[in-house]
Amino acid sequence: MISKWNMNTLIEMRNIVKVYPPNVVALDDVSVDFRQGEIHSIVGENGAGKSTLMKVLYGLTPADSGEIRLSGKAVSFHNPGEAIAAGIGMVHQEIVLIPQYTVWENIVLGVEPLQSFGRLDVAKAQELVRQKIDEFQFNIDVNARVEDISVAARQKVEILTLLYRNVSILILDEPTSVLTPQEIPQLFSELARLRDNGHTILFISHRLEEVLELSDRITVMRKGKKIATVEASQTNRQELARMMVGREILFLSRRTPQPPGPVVFRVENLTLNTPDKRVRLKEINLQVRSGEIVGLAGVEGNGQFELVNTIMGIQQPTSGRIIVEDTDITHAPILERRRKIAFVPQDRGKMGASLSADIVDNAIMTHHRLNERFSLWKGLLLNYAFARHFTDVLADKFAVVMPGRSAPFRALSGGNQQKVILGRELLLNSPFILLDQPTRGLDVGSIEYVHDQILHMRSEGKAILMISADLEEIFLLSDRILVLYRGQLVADIPVEQTSLEEIGTLMLEGRPAG
Amino acid sequence: MNRQRLLNGIVGVFIALLIGAIIMVIQGYNPILTYQALFQYSLFGWYPFATTLKNAVPLVLTGLSAAMAFASGVVNLGQPGQLVMGALFATVGGLYLDLPPALMVLVLSVLAMLGGVLWAGVAAMLRRWFEMSEFIVTLMLNMIADFFTMWAITYPFKDATAYSPMTPQINSNGWLPVIGDFNSSIFFMIVAVAVMWFFFNRWKAGYEWRISGQNSLFARLGGCDIQKNFLGVMLLTGALAGLAGGLVVMAGPHRFIKGLGANYAWDGVMIAIVANNGLMATFLYGLFFSAIQTGALGMELITDVPSEIAQVLQAVLVLVIVASREYLNTTLEKAAARRQARMRQT
Repeated sequence: MISKWNMNTLIEMRNIVKVYPPNVVALDDVSVDFRQGEIHSIVGENGAGKSTLMKVLYGLTPADSGEIRLSGKAVSFHNPGEAIAAGIGMVHQEIVLIPQYTVWENIVLGVEPLQSFGRLDVAKAQELVRQKIDEFQFNIDVNARVEDISVAARQKVEILTLLYRNVSILILDEPTSVLTPQEIPQLFSELARLRDNGHTILFISHRLEEVLELSDRITVMRKGKKIATVEASQTNRQELARMMVGREILFLSRRTPQPPGPVVFRVENLTLNTPDKRVRLKEINLQVRSGEIVGLAGVEGNGQFELVNTIMGIQQPTSGRIIVEDTDITHAPILERRRKIAFVPQDRGKMGASLSADIVDNAIMTHHRLNERFSLWKGLLLNYAFARHFTDVLADKFAVVMPGRSAPFRALSGGNQQKVILGRELLLNSPFILLDQPTRGLDVGSIEYVHDQILHMRSEGKAILMISADLEEIFLLSDRILVLYRGQLVADIPVEQTSLEEIGTLMLEGRPAG
Repeated sequence: MNRQRLLNGIVGVFIALLIGAIIMVIQGYNPILTYQALFQYSLFGWYPFATTLKNAVPLVLTGLSAAMAFASGVVNLGQPGQLVMGALFATVGGLYLDLPPALMVLVLSVLAMLGGVLWAGVAAMLRRWFEMSEFIVTLMLNMIADFFTMWAITYPFKDATAYSPMTPQINSNGWLPVIGDFNSSIFFMIVAVAVMWFFFNRWKAGYEWRISGQNSLFARLGGCDIQKNFLGVMLLTGALAGLAGGLVVMAGPHRFIKGLGANYAWDGVMIAIVANNGLMATFLYGLFFSAIQTGALGMELITDVPSEIAQVLQAVLVLVIVASREYLNTTLEKAAARRQARMRQT
C-alpha cells in the first residue's frame, strides 16, 4: 500500500524540549518524523503536548532545546510567516476569519494580486481562488460572506487560505471538534484528496475512532512524552486508549435504570428577545425530574448561552416562567436562585472561579452566604478557620490534587480546577443541578471522574440538566435528550429511542431527516 | 509570593536610588552627601522620623482609599475631591462646635469622613440611577469640589482678618494633640490601616469585594450582591479620603488654607498603583514616599541640591518598581524553565 515515494521522511523533529515557566514540562525530549504525503495523527489527552509540539514546528512557540529538519536541512522558524514561506501551514481550533468579508477576500488577504497603482485586482483574485477551489473540489461559493456560511465551510476557507499560499504541509488542530457528525466525513474525504495530491497532513485529535479512520500513521503522546508511532492499520482503539491514558478505559455507559421522581425543575413558555427584537429563545418548555439527567444538545450558538443566563438570572426573560420545586424564580435575585440551583459553568476562568484568588476563596463561594457555619459575629465576619476546613474536606472528597490551600487557583491543572468547582457546587446539596459543558477541556481521566460524580448525583435523586456540545457525552449520561435549534426546542426524546445520527440531523437542520 | 513582592520592592528602591545617584552625578552633585542629608532629615532621629510619619498620613490614607477601591473593581479616582470635602466638613465643624477635646477630635473626624462619603455617594448614586461610569464622574467631581471649597473659604467661611482665602483657626479643642515629637494623627493612620486590613481580610463583605475586583461575573453568579458591594466600597473609600482631609486640617494649620489638598491624593493614587493595590504595601510605600518628600526639604538646607530631586526620585521609583514587577517574575520563571530543560536533556 505505502509506496517507496511515501517512505521519504519530510520533517524530522529531534529531542524537542519545551518548558513553560516556571516548571510545566510541555514537551519532554520528543523525537518524531513525518513522511511526505501521509496523514499523520497526533493523539493524546488534553495537556499531553500535541498542540505544543505543532506550535514549535510552526514557529509559534520557541523550543528550549532540540532541532527540526525539513527535507534534511535544519530549520528554525521564529514566526508563522517563516513557516508558511517554507510550506508549513496550521489551522487552529478557533477559526480566525473576518466575518464581514467574503470568502475570496479572506483567502487573498495579505497576498492580494494587484494591478497598477496598488489597486486590488478583484477579477484575478476571484479567479485564482476559484481555481484553488476547483483543484481540490471544495464546494464553496467564493462570493459568500463568511458570517453567512457554516462552521464547516469556514474551516474549508481556512484550509484554502493556506493552500492559496502554496503550503504543502498542513497542520490541523482538532478540526472536528467544531463539526457535527454529518460534516466530518466530508472533511475527511477532502483531506484524503489533499494527501493523494502529495500534501502532508498533521492531524491533532483526541477522538480515537476518527483518527483510526483517517490516518496512515499515528503518534501517541502522554504527559509531554512521545509514547509510540504506529501504523493505523496495525492498531485499534483499545490499544491507542491504553497508550494515551496509561491504563484501560471503558467506553461504556455506566448508567443504571432508575425510575425518575417528581418534576423538580420546570421552564414554561420561556422567550427571550434582544432589545432589537431578535429572537434568542422562543417558547421553551422543559421539565427535569428528580433522579433524571436531561441532556441538551445543539450546535453552539443556538441559544444555550442565553438559556443558561436566563436560568441563572444574568439575563431577564421577555416572557415565561422558571420554577424550581414550586418556587417561581423567574425574577428572583441570584442568591435566591442559588439556594435551589447548583451551577457548573462552561468557562472556568470567566464564570466558575477567580484564577488569581487562592483555592480557599474559590471553594467557599456561595457557601459563604448559604451555610451558617461560615458566619461569625452574626454574619458580619467570615469564619476563615471553617473555610479552610471546608476546603480540605472538599479536596479530600473530590480527590483534588493541590500544592496547598493557599496556592492561587491558576496553579491547579484544568482537571483539578474543575474538581474544585464541581465539588463546591455539588456540596451545595441543591435539588437542581445545571451543568454547562462540564467536561470541556478536560483529559480522559478527569472526564471519567466528572461523569461518575454526575451519575452519583442522579442516584441521589437530583434533577440534572446538562448542556453539552459533545454528543458522545450526552448519549453516555442522559435519560432524555433535548435538541436546541435556533432558540427553539425541536426534540425531546428518551435516549433509548434515538441515535447519534438522528440527534445530529436535528442539531443541524432542526427537523428529523426525510 | 509575599517574599517575592518584598524582594521586588527592595530591589526596585535600590535601583531607583542608584539611578537617582547617577542623575545627581551628571548634574555635578555628590550623591552620597545628598542621600545622607535626605535620610538625616527624614528617618534618623526622633523628630525627623515623627515628621515623616505625620506627612505620611494623607498619603497613606488616600493610598488606602485608592488601593481598596481598585482591588474591589471600583474605579474611584475621586480622592482629591473627597479629601478637600472632608477637610471642609471638619473645618466648619471645628468653627462652630465646642466640645471637650477628646470628643471634639472624634466628632470632627466623623464629620471629615461624612464629607468624603457624601462626595463619593454622589458618584455612586449617579452610577446607580443613570449608569454613569464612576471613572469619569469621580474625576469631574474633583473639579467641582475644588472650586466649591475655594468658594467656601473665600466667602462664607473666610477669616475676615486674612488677605488670602482661608478660614479662621478651628476651636483648639479640635487640634490633634502632639505627644513628644509625634502628632496623634499617626495613631489615626495606623488604626485606619489595621481596620481596613481587617475589613478586607476578615469581613464577609471584604471577601466579596476582593472576589468582585478579580472576577465580577464569578462573584455575581456566586450570589454576591454586586450593587450593594459597589456602594459599600465607594462610600468606605470616600470616608478614608475624607478622613485624610480632616486630619490634615486638625494636625497642621488648624484651618482650611487655599491649596490645602496639594498633591496628597494623586500621590496616594500613585502609591496604590506602585503597591499593586496591596494594603500593607500601600502603607509601606506611603511611608517611604513621605520620607523622600520630608527629607528633600531638609536636604535643601544643607546641600546645593534643589528639593525637586525628590520628585525625580519618586518618578524613577514608580517606573522602576512597576516595570520590574513583571520583569522579575518572568525572569525568575524563565530561569527555572531553562534549568528544567537542561535537566530533561541529559
